[in-house]
Amino acid sequence: MSSRRSRQSGVSRISDDQIIELVSKLRQHLPEIRERRSDKVSASKVLQETCSYIKNLHKEVDDLSERLSQLLSTIDADSAEAAIIRSLIM
Amino acid sequence: MNHCVPDFEMDDDYSILSSSTLNRPRKSPVPEDEIMELLWQNGQLVMQSQNQRSFKKSPPSKHQDGDQSASKEIRPSHHHHQQQQTVTDNLFMQEDEMASWLHYPFNDANFDNDFCADILYPSAPCVTSIATTTASPPVRPIEQPVEPRHLPVPASASAVASSSRPPIPPVRRTELESSRIPNFAHFSRHKVRTEPSGPSNSKSVVRELTVVDSCDTPAVVPESRGFRAMPSISNTEGASGGNNNNACGTIAIGAAAVAASTHSAGVSIGAGASSRENLATCELTVTSSPGCSSASAEPAAPKVAAEDRKRKDREAAGDAECRSEDAEFESPNTKKQSRGSTSTKRSRAAEVHNLSERRRRDRINEKMRALQELIPRCNKSDKASMLDEAIEYLKSLQLQVQMMSMGCGMVPMMFPGVQQFMPPMGMGMGMGMGMGMGMGMGVDMGMSRPMMPFPNVLAGPSLPTAAAAAHLGPRFPMPAFHMPPPAPDPSRIQPNQPDAMLGSLGLQTPNQPWMSGFADPYQQYLGLHQMQLPLPQNQATGQPSSSKPSTSKDAENLENHPPGT
Repeated sequence: MSSRRSRQSGVSRISDDQIIELVSKLRQHLPEIRERRSDKVSASKVLQETCSYIKNLHKEVDDLSERLSQLLSTIDADSAEAAIIRSLIM
Repeated sequence: MNHCVPDFEMDDDYSILSSSTLNRPRKSPVPEDEIMELLWQNGQLVMQSQNQRSFKKSPPSKHQDGDQSASKEIRPSHHHHQQQQTVTDNLFMQEDEMASWLHYPFNDANFDNDFCADILYPSAPCVTSIATTTASPPVRPIEQPVEPRHLPVPASASAVASSSRPPIPPVRRTELESSRIPNFAHFSRHKVRTEPSGPSNSKSVVRELTVVDSCDTPAVVPESRGFRAMPSISNTEGASGGNNNNACGTIAIGAAAVAASTHSAGVSIGAGASSRENLATCELTVTSSPGCSSASAEPAAPKVAAEDRKRKDREAAGDAECRSEDAEFESPNTKKQSRGSTSTKRSRAAEVHNLSERRRRDRINEKMRALQELIPRCNKSDKASMLDEAIEYLKSLQLQVQMMSMGCGMVPMMFPGVQQFMPPMGMGMGMGMGMGMGMGMGVDMGMSRPMMPFPNVLAGPSLPTAAAAAHLGPRFPMPAFHMPPPAPDPSRIQPNQPDAMLGSLGLQTPNQPWMSGFADPYQQYLGLHQMQLPLPQNQATGQPSSSKPSTSKDAENLENHPPGT
């Protein structure tokens, strides 16, 4: 048991540190408002926030795409901005 | 009273529950609000109102209901406001088990065994007798009625359970018996709180509950989850075998749930809440057992805290009496607690800790999997790289959203800037953005050579922003998009080997390329990764190719010369 633990902890210790670092990095990108006491946010909480944030961003992208396509219809299709918008939507 | 204070959370549960259950029937004598209790009467489920015995329900299949009502009965009796004790007449196995189990909470070495034994082997006849005894008297004069109740209980219990249990002092028994399930919860909690060895005790308690649950098939099928989800009649003891933490809670909740389920709708809500509180409390006590389980305690703590607050509010209307009783009950419990062996306590503490740790890990893994699904083309198996990709993807998504929103804002304003849009793009793009991305240079190249797909791809994401920046100025900080280092390479090599690059990458229509990839910066990011590989190759091939002609020419010259000469 102890040997197993040490082995496992040996491996997991490395990963744990990495994970902790990555989680903190990830948290930096999350909206600040959601952050409470930064030292106490658990990894699962950060992951959860990330998932929901990504979903939010997906939704925003969809909304913006729709809006852009609407705008595209209003402007001259040959203009430069139309090209820009098309690229944005794609 | 004071004794109860430390445990008031638990007590509150009971008091609240009981008071809620009690108050409801009392305050609203309307039949709807009347507390209907399901009792197990000699193999049949009987539905009785608090005040009267009415109709009977179905048979032995409703076992659980009976148990539930029995436990509910216990509660009310414990809180001595209960007139439902009439129903307790039909207490059955559950009650019996509980009683015996409660009665012998802290037998030192045999603690676990006794617990288990009592619960495992309840005797029906005793139950009935106990029920009758418990039913009649109010909780207040617990001791007196308890005494007689006790006698049948030990008799029955001993008959079934191991007789190794030492006789408990009547006072304690009284407490236990009257409280039954509620007491049990108290007692597990009490142990946890009052004793330094609490954690192990709680664990032992929990464990025993668990054992009981697993063994006690006839009585109740423990479904802690379902139980937790909503107070259902299914569990009095409702704790999953493996879930020690829940065991304690569910038992308490079972009592609450029983009350809830049997009560009318109005009551059930309160009971349900209190049962949740009970559960939370139990969980809190178990998990918060000092230093035992940190992880699980934390998540449970806030929830419990919230519920504790609620309970406290209700506790105001709670019963002081029950608290006093609990105090009495707890003092003997504490004494019993201290007698537990240290080693077992530690092992239990470690066990609980492991469980909580495991649960925490499971939660994190589950969330990681969910995150992985959200990230497109994430084929990484290890957590670290997956998190890396998640971070990159998140950044790219943020960038994309910003660009698109900027594009939306840009369109109406494009008209004045259209004339200037094209020309400054080559120059202003990279600089204007100030993003420090190699894409700026790529943009320059892209503009100067619209035929270049590669720089266009690079430039794509930055182009609109650059354009916007040129005209509108950056309106929001653009996140530093992680562009691959080779991005500047195309700009460097382009003048040298445009042909090579073109040839390798393929040409696209001029206007499209620098926009095409934008919509999906992440795609671009991935695409760039892929392009980086060919890029050095192009450079490598370009160099030799460009040098080859010269060398060949030289060679020719050389060759020509010699022949010439």
